[in-house]
Amino acid sequence: MIVSLLQTWLAQAPTAEEVQEQLGLDSLILTETFYFWTVVIMWLIHVGFMAYEAGAARRKNIMSTAMKNILTIAVVTPTFYYFGWYIYGCFQEGWPKDGHDSPTVEGLDVLIGFCGNTAPWAAQMGPNLQDHVSAVFFLAFLLFSWTTGSIMSGALIERVRLSAYLILTALLGSVVWIMDAAWGWSSGGWLVTRFGFHDVIASLVVHGVAGAFAFGVLLNLGPRIGKYTTDGLARSFRGHSTHLTLMGLMLIFTGFYGFYAACLVIQSTIFPGWLNIYGSPTTLGAIAFVITIGFAGGFTGGWFASKGDPFWTLSGGLAGVISVSAGADVYHPSLAYLLSISGGMVAVYAGGYIERKLRVDDAVGAVAVHGACGFYGVLLVGIFAGGYPTGINNVESSFGGQLMGMLAFLPLAFLPGYAVSWLLKKLNLLRVPPEVELEGLDLAEFGQDFFPEFERVPEIIVEPDGRAVEAAPVLLDAYWRTNGRAATPVGTSERS
Amino acid sequence: MFDAFPYDEWSEDIAEFWTFGGQGSTGTWILTILGFSVMLIAFWGFVTLENQKLTRQADRLRASGALDKPTATGPTA
Repeated sequence: MIVSLLQTWLAQAPTAEEVQEQLGLDSLILTETFYFWTVVIMWLIHVGFMAYEAGAARRKNIMSTAMKNILTIAVVTPTFYYFGWYIYGCFQEGWPKDGHDSPTVEGLDVLIGFCGNTAPWAAQMGPNLQDHVSAVFFLAFLLFSWTTGSIMSGALIERVRLSAYLILTALLGSVVWIMDAAWGWSSGGWLVTRFGFHDVIASLVVHGVAGAFAFGVLLNLGPRIGKYTTDGLARSFRGHSTHLTLMGLMLIFTGFYGFYAACLVIQSTIFPGWLNIYGSPTTLGAIAFVITIGFAGGFTGGWFASKGDPFWTLSGGLAGVISVSAGADVYHPSLAYLLSISGGMVAVYAGGYIERKLRVDDAVGAVAVHGACGFYGVLLVGIFAGGYPTGINNVESSFGGQLMGMLAFLPLAFLPGYAVSWLLKKLNLLRVPPEVELEGLDLAEFGQDFFPEFERVPEIIVEPDGRAVEAAPVLLDAYWRTNGRAATPVGTSERS
Repeated sequence: MFDAFPYDEWSEDIAEFWTFGGQGSTGTWILTILGFSVMLIAFWGFVTLENQKLTRQADRLRASGALDKPTATGPTA
């Protein structure tokens, strides 16, 4: 009886080839599932950015601020699909040397021909039952693209035109950042294969680049009416809900775990374990360790540097993580803790310098937190992780290599942001009319107040000496000093 | 064990339907061009529609006198 059952079972048992085939399929589905859930978690970054920026906006600008975050998805998704992903696939060597066969990376056959798979008409870019990975990998990168747009978004609030922001965010999310990702955040990128550039969780390629791009835009956009006194001293606007801003930041932090996870590669049919984006072995645990302690250090640094300011304490957490992201796969937790404390402090000091010395009105400190700390994080790798073998060529990371990346990405990010915003400014399409800015963008854009059941109270502005005063006379005076003169070419009824 | 369900056969049928003929086919090209064109039109729409709204509101505010130059502040004799 037993022998008979055993014979029956053996006759039905799969062959070794069948088991291998099934294991391969299961591995692919594991990869597909993993990236799918990173995308779900990364959505929280955008929920967070929306809450963060809407909370920092005054009551009169809530929806116009939130709408930027919502429509980021509407414009970056198709532009990234039609040409952004293609840039990543094809421009890793600077220019596709072998056409759609690029990149031809020795030792990593899986990459060869990646370029041809990224065009919108490729079989990999649609429903394809033979391909479990390409679509979710595309989606993970798309979420990074949204993030670059959202980083810039906060800096420009309360005076930028929605349409101008959408044009700029499509440029940033679907051309600028993805070009730098091709160069320095891929296995075949020329900065990686030639200089050992190491920015494993995108300190610079996402955050720094978005911050530098936003800085270029801010120079043309100018400050909000009333931001600076006639002596050039900075006033502070009161956001309508600090609670919403802080909750938004906490949601961004939650989403960052998905962001970090999506920066790794797992596909056990090809690689025996986790790889970073450059193809170097690492573990998910190491990355999660650094991000968590990075938050701890960043909060601490932000708290002390700002003397306990709640906004900068939480922003310090973000700055701390960004500062250690570039070397998150190699840092010891204690080193990450120390470096992230310094990162939280750098953000606070840089934010003050940008606001008070450079007189650039960055409404949420994005240039300081993302821009300054993004570049700082890459610099730290050159100092503390020099010699680490990066990527499949095992090119050692070095201070010089990191510097090369910074020198390549600064103009790549800053110049397009400055040039296109300058053009929009010349066309009078960058900034809302000053009258609309004073009244609030929501009434002009949407025709309604979004807290209809609450009585309007006088808007408050904080003078440089710390006095909180009624904003209306201050803003009206500033309007007449700066914007209310003859040169206000809005629409058809220019002032004379 | 692995062929108890006609997955492969059904997959082929569905793949042909989903992909409109697959990589580089006429259907794929037409859809790509249509989608890209709509994307560009959407950008144009975002700019023009917003410009109309902002211009209208700015004109209304100027005409209302709500933002007229404030009178001198401080004590008066």
